[in-house]
Amino acid sequence: MPQANLPRYSLTELADLARVTPRTVRYYMAQGLVPSPGQSGPGAKYDDTHLGRLRVIRKLQREHLPLAEIRQRLAGLDDATIAGLAEESTDTPDPGDSALDYIRRVLGSSRGGSNPVVASPVPGRLSTPPAPPARLMSVQALSAEPIEAMRTVPAFGAPHPPTPAPAQVPTERSQWERISLAPDIELHVRRPLPRPLAKRVDRLVSIARDLLEEDPT
Amino acid sequence: MTTQTAVTARADRRLIRPHGRSQRFVLVQVTAPPATHERDRLPVNLAFVLDRSGSMSGEKIELAKRTISAALEHLDGRDRFSIVVYDDVVDLVVESTPGSAEARRNAMARLDAIDARGSTNLSEGWLRGAEQVASHIAPDGVNRCLVLTDGLANKGMTDPIELAKHSAELRTRGVSTTTFGVGADFDEAMLQGMADAGGGHFYFVRDAATTRDHITSEVGETLEIVARDVELEVVAAEDVRVEAISPQPTRPRGSRTVVGLGDLVAGQVLDVVLRVTFPYGEIGRETGVIIGLTDRDGVFAAGGRALAIDARLTWAYADDAANDGQARDTEVDRAVATQFAARARQEAVRLNRAGDYTNARRVLDATGRRIRAYAGRDPALRGMVSELESEGDTFAAPMAPLALKEAHFASANLARTRDSQGRSRTRRT
Repeated sequence: MPQANLPRYSLTELADLARVTPRTVRYYMAQGLVPSPGQSGPGAKYDDTHLGRLRVIRKLQREHLPLAEIRQRLAGLDDATIAGLAEESTDTPDPGDSALDYIRRVLGSSRGGSNPVVASPVPGRLSTPPAPPARLMSVQALSAEPIEAMRTVPAFGAPHPPTPAPAQVPTERSQWERISLAPDIELHVRRPLPRPLAKRVDRLVSIARDLLEEDPT
Repeated sequence: MTTQTAVTARADRRLIRPHGRSQRFVLVQVTAPPATHERDRLPVNLAFVLDRSGSMSGEKIELAKRTISAALEHLDGRDRFSIVVYDDVVDLVVESTPGSAEARRNAMARLDAIDARGSTNLSEGWLRGAEQVASHIAPDGVNRCLVLTDGLANKGMTDPIELAKHSAELRTRGVSTTTFGVGADFDEAMLQGMADAGGGHFYFVRDAATTRDHITSEVGETLEIVARDVELEVVAAEDVRVEAISPQPTRPRGSRTVVGLGDLVAGQVLDVVLRVTFPYGEIGRETGVIIGLTDRDGVFAAGGRALAIDARLTWAYADDAANDGQARDTEVDRAVATQFAARARQEAVRLNRAGDYTNARRVLDATGRRIRAYAGRDPALRGMVSELESEGDTFAAPMAPLALKEAHFASANLARTRDSQGRSRTRRT
């Protein structure tokens, strides 16, 4: 969902979001590490480009790079690249296939291959043989990405899980999923799990979250 | 958009502890723009998926058929619809067609010939309906599959997690799912899960006679949608953690947190409760979050108005004495308590259903105690505590299936800012 990169942050807000002081922001601007805002003075507004640059500078500083080298590195990068570095985007990727492709794949694999085409507007049987047992459907498609409703968090510092490859022959493979139970507490689960165990894990997550829900006082 | 504020945010408290990893709650209230003129409404592309298994026989299926016929009357040539019925096999009764008067008449005649039989292959019926929607997807419209069932899925996929996963995948590809559970025998957690993951709604139809009300209000809502795929986007410093405790899905987008609100109807009012966890900090320092609202069509951000819909909140690090003595925003406390009470009730429903009566009561009691800790003299909060306490007795003994479903539906609606019938709450202008 695109949202225009509008100047929306005051100097104080920008400094807070980037975890630096306003004075540092001014210093970086004076040093040419961060561009000046479109409009100067106390009403000046900054945008995500500024925030992204500040975050990348902080990151590089944590790697103990001197400011001069940081300046050199930033000089060769455009705003989009810097935004990418700052955000290390974990956004839901574009699924890459359409709803129709997806449904036909699931229906196709759940009936063991054939992909009947819906053609007749007359009422008629679409599927003469009853569907085979449920679990035949693509395990890969199911396990490659954590369920959104589980509120999983991406592994910090670890490579992000691969995007599910659309329309491939399902192969059994496993993957660790990190489920956040509370701030500072995670559960690691290797997927796929046998269904009875998966259900118990879901229960465990829900009970654990209830238990850990901190008293909001 | 009018001058009405689209998003407001308030925090339960404004001070945080320097060494406490403080958690604070934020109530975000979103108001959708008012209705556009009827002729400008978004086209809808709906599939009606009807359970025709043996248990639906008699009045239930007759009412469902009549209801679908009645719902079709609201559509016109801009829209598309299809009808799928399923038991152990799936029949495409009406292939996706524009909603012209003639097509609607033909559809009603075909529906008339349907009767109940067989077992319940919900997954394939649903996917066939979704396939009809997907094969004529309206890029600028509302694409939704409506599934009505009265029983447990016993053919095809039956795992609630698996079904929810597919529902979420379909949603990211533009097809949403709404579910209707009729009577006492369906699995409410499964249908609720499909609807939540699928960006639609779940309705409990206690009495088959009210099928019509529920389907009509859902179809009516699709015709009143003014903003699609609405998302709250929260910007905070990297070491500040933000998550929704209301049931909307939360995910990270880079260093931001995005809360998916789904489609909003004209004037809809939605409460979202966020939990913000702060890092350690020095006394006197301030930190904040900026909350923006976006949607697929730029309804909330049109003409560079994104700035106008930002809401900002700041907190200040202060010593323990100041933290202990600070004022609370009771309205936020109530919203927070509503969410935790709803969660507790849903957990209690699940436990009671599983025969674990002791823990069903324990969950309610524990939540009541937590709310009492900050209820102070507020009558609304104290009322919530005593309700949870008195419900403990009910949940500590076996409950009838209908009572469990009612308890689930009531709490699910509260958590989602919907009324007791599952309808969205709106602020008409």
